[in-house]
Amino acid sequence: MTSPPLKVAVVGCGKIADGHVEEIQKLTSRARMVAACDREPLIAEQLCTRYGIPGCYSDFEELLEKEKPDVVHITTPPQSHMMLSRLAAEAGCHLYVEKPFAMNANETRAILAHAQSLGRKVTLGYRTYFDPPAVAMRQLVAEGIIGDVVHAESYYGYNLAGQFGSALLSDPTHWVHRLPGKLFHNIIDHLLNKIAEFVPDDDPHVLVHASSLRPQRFGDHRDLLKDELRLMIYGERVTAFGTFSSHIRPVRESLRLYGTRNTAHIDWDMRTVTLEAAGSLPSAIGRLVPAFSMARSYLREGMRNVWSFARNDFHYFIGLKTQLTAFYDCILRDTDPPYPYRNIIRVSAMLDEIFAQADQGQSLEKLTMERTAR
Amino acid sequence: MKILVTGAAGFLGSVTVERLLERGETDIRLFIRPGPKRGKLDQLIAKYPRAQVEFVTGNLASAADCAKAVDGADLIYHLAAGMSGAAADLFLHTVVTSKYLLDAIVAEKRPIRTVLVSSFSVYGVADLGRGGRLDESVALESHPERRDLYAQAKLRQEKLFWEYREKHGLPLTVLRPGVIYGPGAKPFSNRVGLKLFGIFLHLGGSNPLPLTYVDNCADAILAAGATPEAEGQVFNVVDDNLPTCSRFLKDYRKEVEPLRVVRVPYFATMWMSRAVERYHHWSQGQLPAVFTPYKTASMWAGNRFSNAKMKSIGWTPLVPTEEGMRRAFASAKMQQAAS
Repeated sequence: MTSPPLKVAVVGCGKIADGHVEEIQKLTSRARMVAACDREPLIAEQLCTRYGIPGCYSDFEELLEKEKPDVVHITTPPQSHMMLSRLAAEAGCHLYVEKPFAMNANETRAILAHAQSLGRKVTLGYRTYFDPPAVAMRQLVAEGIIGDVVHAESYYGYNLAGQFGSALLSDPTHWVHRLPGKLFHNIIDHLLNKIAEFVPDDDPHVLVHASSLRPQRFGDHRDLLKDELRLMIYGERVTAFGTFSSHIRPVRESLRLYGTRNTAHIDWDMRTVTLEAAGSLPSAIGRLVPAFSMARSYLREGMRNVWSFARNDFHYFIGLKTQLTAFYDCILRDTDPPYPYRNIIRVSAMLDEIFAQADQGQSLEKLTMERTAR
Repeated sequence: MKILVTGAAGFLGSVTVERLLERGETDIRLFIRPGPKRGKLDQLIAKYPRAQVEFVTGNLASAADCAKAVDGADLIYHLAAGMSGAAADLFLHTVVTSKYLLDAIVAEKRPIRTVLVSSFSVYGVADLGRGGRLDESVALESHPERRDLYAQAKLRQEKLFWEYREKHGLPLTVLRPGVIYGPGAKPFSNRVGLKLFGIFLHLGGSNPLPLTYVDNCADAILAAGATPEAEGQVFNVVDDNLPTCSRFLKDYRKEVEPLRVVRVPYFATMWMSRAVERYHHWSQGQLPAVFTPYKTASMWAGNRFSNAKMKSIGWTPLVPTEEGMRRAFASAKMQQAAS
């Protein structure tokens, strides 16, 4: 690569910014971290101190003016994405926008249209789309091993007692409580983007069931936040189910892809891609053998993971690194961004529909009455 | 005199409130976060009907909530801090909250005596050497980025308080407790060792364990607030007759649960730390740098501790270490049985 490394800045120095900075700093031939910004100077300072980032700002416009970055990673809550992406694009920056991309589909379209009108490239925080199992699954589809996709089942488990979940529940002013889709808004991109690539329809039919299984203990709007979601998505040729659960254990992330030739199971936690074993032998033997076929598949995947680990290719944010490599390359070579804009818009439109049906705006009194009745 | 206690629903906070009530304080304001943790405080306060105890529920990362908390207060015990979580969370709950509180204090435009509960972790002990004496004259950590996140956040918090004292003349006393223990606390400090894959790695060996029983620590906090000469001073808080890490672990195994323990001598911990750090760098962070030589030197080299300065303002640890350990282990045993 002969071009000088891209100058990269991060705005929003919360938890996810750590992951961004760590991966950016690995791509030394393509990118160089020049600055970080947070409206709270002490939060910007902690990120800059820990990662040795030279420019530390609490005013984003000042950062843009002084550092003139080529790329800005927007890792703030989505309420500010529209404003920050406009400022950055107008200052000549390409955009990596963390998920959730925007507050609604109209904002999503506006951000993309504005950036495109200025010749800026955009990608969004769908790192799991670039994780090795997702890439391997796409290869299976491309090679025809799955056949025509008929149905997809995406599962995303969540731990409300985890680092982010407990921060959200302990703070009634947390920004997630102000999102139209609340907890779902911040998380289910991970669920939907796995489905979106296989349900190609512009406007698939979406049915939603949302509920809350945890006890009410706050007596305020935090009790309105729903924590279980089931989706049914009907395209013209492909259907999909989506399950988001805060209560099912163990907490996992997976996709089952049903095709006319094979069914694949992709597990993001184990980082495995396996094909369902078909019984080709007769009678009881035909029921004995598939379990061993599956065991062999998992053994093969396990060995592949050991090899990845040995090659230092088994990091938590490996998908983000792959995505950043592809995104920076598309800027340097002026090619298409690594995640299609059409899918960004389609997912955003589906999210709007899901949040409307999930209806988390009901009153506490109504919620309590419903529960009492149940 | 109106006394404000932040972090009042926490482990140390609730005992500090209890000690204030026992001492006959009658005008107390408790700052707590929204949530269900108020119950224990309510039970406690009910025992002191003469006391006027006011709750302010809010978020210290809010200027308005801090203004409400500080309004009319004459003495502030600032105990609230993040204890775990991601870096941004720890800094938000420890450092940013402190900034908002300090801004609210400054906005009152009158001297409000403030006692900050800091931590031993702010000291730069890596260069002290094995057996070095840790007292208040030891310099603050000069390489925060090489320490764990909790130490980084507490160090920045304390520096912020000193900056405000310098700039605004804030009357300030800083307490740096060692390991605060007692019923309800997590049973082990990392200074003793770490549980890893079902085995307890005993890393502290025969190092003195700088314990302070939660009631003793609360007494120290109140003593610092009640002593005008303590203004502008730093005090370490550790109890007398400190046990070694080995002794603490032995008693824990006898009184609470049998643990599978592997004793790791200091030289082996240091060797392992070098290997972990090298691997971390070589693999670009594929495994976290849980151990590094710097962290190991800071945590497990072994220091001697002094509480002479704290005693010079009239504090005495009333609960002896033997008794404190007995109470802590009895509570841990009950928790084990309940779970």
